[in-house]
Amino acid sequence: MRFLTRLRAVIGIAGAQIRTQRLRSLLAIVGICLAVLSMTLLTSLGMGVVQTGQEKFDASGRDLWVTGGPVKLTPETGGFQNSLDNSHRVADEIMARDDVATAYALGFQTVYVSPNTSEFETIIGVGAPSGGQSVTVTEGSQYTPGDPHYNGGSYDGPMTHEVIISPEAAERFGVGVNDTLYIGSTLASARQHEFRITGISPTYSNFLGSSNVVLHLSELQEVSGTTGTDTASLVTVKLRDGADPDTVASELESTYPTLDVRTNQEQLEATLRQQAVLIAAGVALVALSIITGIALTLNLVLSLIYQQRREFAALRAQGLSVWTLVGVVGTQAFTYGLLGGLLASGLTYPLADVLNVAIQSLVGFENVVVVDQRVVLGGFAIALVIGLASALAGSWSLARQPVTDLLDG
Amino acid sequence: MVSTESDTTDPILTCDGVTRSFTRGRSGWLSSPQDTQTVVAVDDVTTTIHTGDVVGLAGPSGSGKSTLLHLLAALDTPTKGRVVLDGTDTTTLSESQRAKLRLDEVGIVFQHFHLLPSLSARANVALPLVQRGVPKSTRRAKANDLLDAVGLADRATHKPAELSGGEQQRVAIARALVTDPSLLVADEPTGELDSETGRQILDLLTDVADDRAVIIASHDEAVLDRADSVLRLHDGRLQSESDPSMHREIPHES
Repeated sequence: MRFLTRLRAVIGIAGAQIRTQRLRSLLAIVGICLAVLSMTLLTSLGMGVVQTGQEKFDASGRDLWVTGGPVKLTPETGGFQNSLDNSHRVADEIMARDDVATAYALGFQTVYVSPNTSEFETIIGVGAPSGGQSVTVTEGSQYTPGDPHYNGGSYDGPMTHEVIISPEAAERFGVGVNDTLYIGSTLASARQHEFRITGISPTYSNFLGSSNVVLHLSELQEVSGTTGTDTASLVTVKLRDGADPDTVASELESTYPTLDVRTNQEQLEATLRQQAVLIAAGVALVALSIITGIALTLNLVLSLIYQQRREFAALRAQGLSVWTLVGVVGTQAFTYGLLGGLLASGLTYPLADVLNVAIQSLVGFENVVVVDQRVVLGGFAIALVIGLASALAGSWSLARQPVTDLLDG
Repeated sequence: MVSTESDTTDPILTCDGVTRSFTRGRSGWLSSPQDTQTVVAVDDVTTTIHTGDVVGLAGPSGSGKSTLLHLLAALDTPTKGRVVLDGTDTTTLSESQRAKLRLDEVGIVFQHFHLLPSLSARANVALPLVQRGVPKSTRRAKANDLLDAVGLADRATHKPAELSGGEQQRVAIARALVTDPSLLVADEPTGELDSETGRQILDLLTDVADDRAVIIASHDEAVLDRADSVLRLHDGRLQSESDPSMHREIPHES
């Protein structure tokens, strides 16, 4: 009973301290809140990237991804580094297997694009077959089926000069169906190659998250000068029902020892591994934020104790135990952690929405920041840890100060 | 022995051959004995104080006044000798046991008041009762009674920053009395106050001496004049009665 009475009084004194030291209290709470928010939002972003990537790979309707090596992102343009040669032949050979439903080569190449011959911008050019799951047209029509310019590898078939563009590209260049675009991997090449827009398709912008133009692969190779090696980025494979992706991948790797064959999950992991520096930077940022939160709260609690060292010493002289005063200081620090954690938990969801809007407007991906309840609970736990660490440090500080020294000082 | 009026009663405080020395300077495994210096702050002090005594403690800066006050109030323990407070030898107690003894037997008033700025006058007065686990209603009632006794009934809800220096010192005295101690120790209680307010504070301190002993440390002769007797320290030693220029005993003028 006496303990409970004392506990209530200690909480009451701590509450009075928090209310009186409003600015300090607010700073401590905001500091903890920011530390926790950086943890919850960056973790949610990381989880969202993985989840979104997984969804994109799953939504692609492909089972296997064949590349000449790791598919490397080129951040400066948002494009990919091509790495698979003889792509048409490889795709045809894979397509000939009984357990394969479809297999076709895809090329990703940064290209210059302009509705006239003077104002060019670089965006991603996609070399892809027409129709089916490859490109879904929402306005206009598909381009000519097949890849007539390839013509069995001679590249002397007719150029269709047809292109499907993403809605973002249509808006960016102010063009629509049946308008003309000049496309090439160099300015000189672009001025020479005129394409007619047959349709608008969001298929690849959903996947890439940026503006793009989709051409027949052979025509992309023609405007980028890679017909000699028949270079593409990858070959995507859809298996027939009942076929085991791991078994087929293993057999394909035996057939093509120089190529990498990955399932959806492996391809996602390989893509993420390319971003190791970014991920490490994110983890470091979270760790630094937490350390900063602890340091800030510690500093505030210790300065609070220092500011009132003589008052606390006077109370100890009067017979109040160190533990009672530790209870006052500890309750304050713990309250900061609790309130900072609650504030951060409440702010995580709306701030994630704000980030999603910003990310979508910048790179085109929707809902990349995915807030998991476990992450919010983890953030809240970290806030309490910050509060407890500060309370312990404050208590240690109080206990080690001799009363008589403080009274004399 | 400095008090004669209450010699027939049991002493509340006995100080027997008390010495307190401090080691100053560098210490540690890399330092030599020449790096440290032992300073004797209080040297072989013997005295006895009874309930009802108002004792002045005088001496120049560095004379050991504060150190002796800390020893008498069980804030510190002597290097040699013993201090017996209400029958308990403080040298045998741990820090927490001395804290408990102070809570029960000692009230302390400081020159700079040392009130918690976030709490009201009433809450500051009631603070020592928190340690005892006294229920809130009882704490409030006792604090209100004491604030009434020191003339601050109408200032109970005010915070220290809203009170004058004299009012803050009266709150500090009320806080020191809230546990009903047998010994009240005041260190330069009027040092921060004007002479009129200081006189009122001294009236208050001497008024509460009926049920307890009061020790007042001060440089101010006007303060010391209100004491029944005065302990004068010089270089840590209590001055002998044979040297009236350095040491005097003032009988109670009642």
